[in-house]
Amino acid sequence: MTEPRGRLGAALIAALFSVPLLALVTRAFADSWRAPALVPQELGLRGVRIAFSGETGTAFLNSLQVATLTVAIALILAWPAARVLGERRLRHPATVFILLAAPLLVPSYAVGSGLTEWFIRLGLDGSTTALVAAHLTFVLPYVTIVLLSGFGPGLTTLEEMARVSGLSPLRRLALVSLPASAPTVAAAALLGFLVSWSDYGSSLAVGGGRPMLPVVLLPFVGADPQVAATLALLFLAPALLFLVLTVRAGRRPL
Amino acid sequence: MRPSWCLALVAVAALMTGGLTACGGSSTAPRSGNAPASADGFTATLRAARGQTVRWWLYGGDEKINAYVDNVVAPAARRLGVTIKRVPITDTADAVQRVVAERRAGKTSGGAVDLIWINGENFAAGKRARLWLMQWAAALPNARRYVDASDPSIARDFQVPVEGQESPWQRASFVYAHDSVKVPAPPRDLDALFAYAKAHPGRVTYPAPPDFTGSAFVRQVVSVKGENAAFAYLRRIKPYLYRGGVTYPKSEAELSALFGDGRVDFAMSYDSSFVGSAVRKGQFPASARPFLLGGEALQNTSYVTIPANAARAAGAKVVANLLLSPELQAAKLDPAVLGNPTVLDPKRLGSKRALFAAKRDSRYVLRDYGRTVAELPADKVASLEQRWTRDVLRSP
Amino acid sequence: MSGALLRHPRVRNYARLAPVILTITLLFGGALAGAVRTSVLPLGQDATLATWSSLLHAPELVDAALFTLRTALISTLLAAAVAVAIALAVWRRGTWVRALLALAVPIPHLLVATVAVLWLAPGGLAERVLGALPITLVRDRAGLGVVLVYVYKEAPFLALLLLAAMGQGYREREEACAALGASASQRLRWVTWPTIRGPLVVGSIIVFAYVLGAFEVPLALGPSYPPTLAEYAFNATRGDLISGQSTAAATLLLTSVAAMLLAVLAVRLAKDPQGD
Repeated sequence: MTEPRGRLGAALIAALFSVPLLALVTRAFADSWRAPALVPQELGLRGVRIAFSGETGTAFLNSLQVATLTVAIALILAWPAARVLGERRLRHPATVFILLAAPLLVPSYAVGSGLTEWFIRLGLDGSTTALVAAHLTFVLPYVTIVLLSGFGPGLTTLEEMARVSGLSPLRRLALVSLPASAPTVAAAALLGFLVSWSDYGSSLAVGGGRPMLPVVLLPFVGADPQVAATLALLFLAPALLFLVLTVRAGRRPL
Repeated sequence: MRPSWCLALVAVAALMTGGLTACGGSSTAPRSGNAPASADGFTATLRAARGQTVRWWLYGGDEKINAYVDNVVAPAARRLGVTIKRVPITDTADAVQRVVAERRAGKTSGGAVDLIWINGENFAAGKRARLWLMQWAAALPNARRYVDASDPSIARDFQVPVEGQESPWQRASFVYAHDSVKVPAPPRDLDALFAYAKAHPGRVTYPAPPDFTGSAFVRQVVSVKGENAAFAYLRRIKPYLYRGGVTYPKSEAELSALFGDGRVDFAMSYDSSFVGSAVRKGQFPASARPFLLGGEALQNTSYVTIPANAARAAGAKVVANLLLSPELQAAKLDPAVLGNPTVLDPKRLGSKRALFAAKRDSRYVLRDYGRTVAELPADKVASLEQRWTRDVLRSP
Repeated sequence: MSGALLRHPRVRNYARLAPVILTITLLFGGALAGAVRTSVLPLGQDATLATWSSLLHAPELVDAALFTLRTALISTLLAAAVAVAIALAVWRRGTWVRALLALAVPIPHLLVATVAVLWLAPGGLAERVLGALPITLVRDRAGLGVVLVYVYKEAPFLALLLLAAMGQGYREREEACAALGASASQRLRWVTWPTIRGPLVVGSIIVFAYVLGAFEVPLALGPSYPPTLAEYAFNATRGDLISGQSTAAATLLLTSVAAMLLAVLAVRLAKDPQGD
């Protein structure tokens, strides 16, 4: 593929995936947009006004808090396991992989409603602990799977060289392991964050009425497209920020 | 929108504080008058409710209701020391499921749900499973004073006796919408609707049950024609419907979008002021108007109920009582606010009647809802929905 | 002796895996146990298999299952194909293009579906721009709109997985092969495919399982009938309020078991030719 054609093809594909989403921005600020008009009949801030009344601020912070905690805990738990799996140190890794994959094959609503009863009995329902635990069930596998792809003989060799050079384990971690695996860690963190951030099923089941952004948003999606579009943009903001940071990190050479 | 909220709020505030100061004695009793001994019992409730946060689970997709609760009810409650926390849900069933889950886990007190906006099958199912607090609604001061407990449309919720387990809040009438420019003379009844569909194939449809609105439409047909004739009618009209009656809108919102875009000629809703809201939302053209089929409308009353294991039952009772105050009921009569009729008995209003006279007229809200078509028994609703799926949707 | 034991590689491996394994077993196991319990203990009744038997005898269940399976299969295969095409076209490009591409990933499925309705429904933007659309994409019996949304949403996700695998050392290998005289198709077979096969299979299984169990998209775009299995479970909780949770739990368990069996099958099939 010649350079200019390749570039055009790439740009086209990228545009195909991003332009329809710009319709979302227009919808958010269109007070009135009925067929067959291509341009909204009326622009306005009605969507913004309604979207930000009530529980939205709390829901945004709750979702942010839960997603951040979940991803942080997931990374810490997953790092050692990912090393073992990524460096292929197990003789029979299949069992572990099946265990990792199982929660991903189950709708999050099922996980949420299955856990709710135990949480209610423990007096935890609606607490951050319960939400983080429920989210962790499927975020942990995602994070582990993505993380393990960053470990392998390349990293082991580097660490061996560092060890031979006399660096302590802690300095090895800080100066070699973490920087080398930064892109993968960033990708894992992004995915984990997104999965938790946008989860509806288990947030609804386990939340016990605690405002979470997807739960606040869903009633509007069918009923009021303009408010839904506004909330959607709010939804996207942290996710997009995180995404840009990750892609930046992903371009660093090994 | 904002000015009318301000007005409503100021009006309510003035009346409430006026009522409070006029009482002298107990500063917590809402108003003077022929309040019998029950006021003392309720005084204890008011005292217990002070400082409580009531978690009220109600449908979150209607900004009018959200605004009414946030801007009119919540400030009034705050004056009594009760904070309302609105928990938005997609469907009342979500709240019932929450209470069921707590019941299943053996949680008999300290529940996460204090108040639910509810009626019909949701209430009946909860009542059968003994989920609701009992014998409290009729004892509320405002209920005793202003509500006609013998009115069958209040004493029975979809034919199920209320028995003091829920307190009335709103009335709703099932209305239809047409575009007065495109269809100046809408069909007068169901047979005329059939003729219209035949003459204009693909321009008529309704949401598929078990959607709330679609189910209500099917119930209206059943009430008018009798069950078997009704399903025969729905099968006969099927080929002339939008998309040949093979696929239906999944919700009222979808049907409204189709109507607003001019794909179909009629919309419908149990929210009697939905035409006004949709025009304000920019979804319907300004020429949309409501109408009735057959000079009658399916009507129901909706209530608030308190789960038996609610953590803050006292606060919930105070809120339920507030909702029945003439000031709050009159505030929601305004089409710019909610625009639906009151559940209070006009004959018992006395001096408060003046509040209800000053409502604005609107071409988007009907003044008269014709004959009342009572709702069917709650347990019939589910079986009708299933029969629709079998006899109409899946039929060739 | 215990010091040596702790330094034993096998023990250290298990110790490293323990946090993840314990957490998942506890949480996921608890969720499954809870679901099983709910499905056999409807509120107010003693343990009974009535919910399961009425579920398995429901005629709508078979239709729902077949529809769900078909949708998931087609969506996954198409998304995988599109992802490979994207990865091949884009792997040399800069951050800019990848960021644009990945715009679809953070957005929840339901929102993508809503945007899809905005564009593809009768009266939607696509029709306003192009005139009438040749095929129905929303609420059609074949579920085409649903498939389209899943492909749109999952293809970038899979493509990003592939691109991540194509990062380290891939460029060098590819260019080395080209320098040695390998043709484009040979490079594809011997350099590209082995690199992307792993993430593609794993990613596809994840996508397949997700589509099998999701319901927001069919709720927005799918036909009234048949529903997907997850929609069926969801409708159960809205219909019969008291024992609806039991039916829903049973349906979701059924879906999960099916997804797990199919995943095992897929892994078996993927392993066979290469003996990996």
